[in-house]
Amino acid sequence: MRYPGRCPRRGGRRSGGAVRSVASAQLVAAVRRITQVLERVLDPETAGWATLVGLTAGQGLGFNRAFILRVQGERLEGWLGVGPRTREEGAALWHELRENGVNPISTLERPDPAVVAAEQRRLAPLLRALSCPLDETSSRWHRPLVARRGHPLAAVRRWLAQLGSHSLAVIPVIGAGELWGVVLADNFITHRPILPAVLEAASTLVQALRTAVERIKLLQRLSEEERRRISAEHAAAMLETARTLAHDLKNPLTVAGGLASEVAAVVGEQGGEFSPQLAAIVDAIRHAEARLAELVAGLASRATGTPLSAVDVTATVERVLSTFRPLAARRGIRFEVENQLAGELAAAVPSYLERCIENLVGNAIEALERAQVGDGCVRLALSADRTTVRVDVADNGPPLPPTMQTDPFSGGVTTREGGGGLGLASVRRLTDAMEGRVEYDESMAGWVRFSIFLRRWV
Amino acid sequence: MKGARLLFIDDETGLLDLYETAFSREGYQVCRAATLEEARRLLEAGNIDLVVLDIRLAEESGLALLHEIKGRTPGLPVVLSTAYARYQDDFSSWLADAYVVKSSDLTELKRTVRACLEPRR
Repeated sequence: MRYPGRCPRRGGRRSGGAVRSVASAQLVAAVRRITQVLERVLDPETAGWATLVGLTAGQGLGFNRAFILRVQGERLEGWLGVGPRTREEGAALWHELRENGVNPISTLERPDPAVVAAEQRRLAPLLRALSCPLDETSSRWHRPLVARRGHPLAAVRRWLAQLGSHSLAVIPVIGAGELWGVVLADNFITHRPILPAVLEAASTLVQALRTAVERIKLLQRLSEEERRRISAEHAAAMLETARTLAHDLKNPLTVAGGLASEVAAVVGEQGGEFSPQLAAIVDAIRHAEARLAELVAGLASRATGTPLSAVDVTATVERVLSTFRPLAARRGIRFEVENQLAGELAAAVPSYLERCIENLVGNAIEALERAQVGDGCVRLALSADRTTVRVDVADNGPPLPPTMQTDPFSGGVTTREGGGGLGLASVRRLTDAMEGRVEYDESMAGWVRFSIFLRRWV
Repeated sequence: MKGARLLFIDDETGLLDLYETAFSREGYQVCRAATLEEARRLLEAGNIDLVVLDIRLAEESGLALLHEIKGRTPGLPVVLSTAYARYQDDFSSWLADAYVVKSSDLTELKRTVRACLEPRR
């Protein structure tokens, strides 16, 4: 079941003050209901989806369709959308809704992930078309507006054209005084005018979305810190266990080696022939002792922090890609690299970073092959700001299945037949060890992206 | 100092056997204790010239006994012996006269024992 936006009400027109006040009461009730949901949801996508359904459902604000664009660097990128692309699609989808008696508002908190994914796949080209660079005028957006043809802002004119709208609600999402994104909504099929009360209600919903996203980010950051703390405690406990094991192994080795040495010494003192086998035993035991000591030292350094060094990310990426190029070429997959680094180095462990990028590129190739994507592409983007070096590995394959989306790095979940899902878990462990982090997002319409963030080496 | 009485404290009886074999052959008198209780009894009986003490014993930390010995008989040399060097960073181990990492090669332990007994001549 797809969710297509508002189903137009059948029946005659109603007008007059009583009707308006009923409509206002409905608006208030809808806004209250949806904002209550937004206060409870725990992931940004569900919050975005709930907002869009609230804007478009018949029992919500009743727009024909709506879209969210988020600020990503210097661009506004299409993120989520709900509703039909054309009149015909709208008619078909609304018919389907009516036939099935679906009330999208009832599943706001727990939408069917398959429905959400299908809707985003269907709207991906339109979301891409709506994406645009931020221009200087964007910083002046503070108020919601209803835009019409000939609007002074180039971005707004572009959206009107792309959507074929006569009238478009443009609602900036402001957080901490900065533009976070824009919500667009229109009635391109019903041509119902966008009344000030509806625009105001939409704006309230959109600000509730912004608050929800901030709250979710804060909770995620807190849970990430908690995860790191538990991980550190776990590492310390593992080290202690390893030390105990090593201790228990070392003592018998010491006894065996020591007694062998004593026997050899006694034989030598008594003028007997020294046994080469005995000498070999002594050597082997001393070698085993040294290996054990190295093992414990290695475990200790992993538990107490691995020394980071300045790593040339460009060279690392190039090394990984050169390994994968023959495989990718055989499978008709191309690599694109957008390198914005100008000599910035990352604080990392070279072998760890290489393994992280290997895992992500390898996963991307497998996903593209499995989905039999015609024009498969793995895109790597390298960038840096004042404090951070970032490596994005994106592919234009299908999104992760819903079971993986909540926490693809937790391990044990996989999209690969026979896979253990440990590749992504390993990426997180390694980035953690480098005091960095890895994130997953599908904010670029049609792309699945993993991003590694590492401290910039100063 | 040939003939000196050495007390080896370790919960690994195999190691006590090794120490007894190796140090008896060097001319020392070897006493052995596998628990702290046994060690305290031998120490109270007196006539111990040097203690070789394992830090990580089954039930108690050898460092507790180190503190007791240094409180009662500050002149009695104590050589700490342990599997890995990390206890060198523990200030409680600094009371000891020497610190030796266990090895099947007893050369260092023998050298340390000799060195610790030197001033008592």
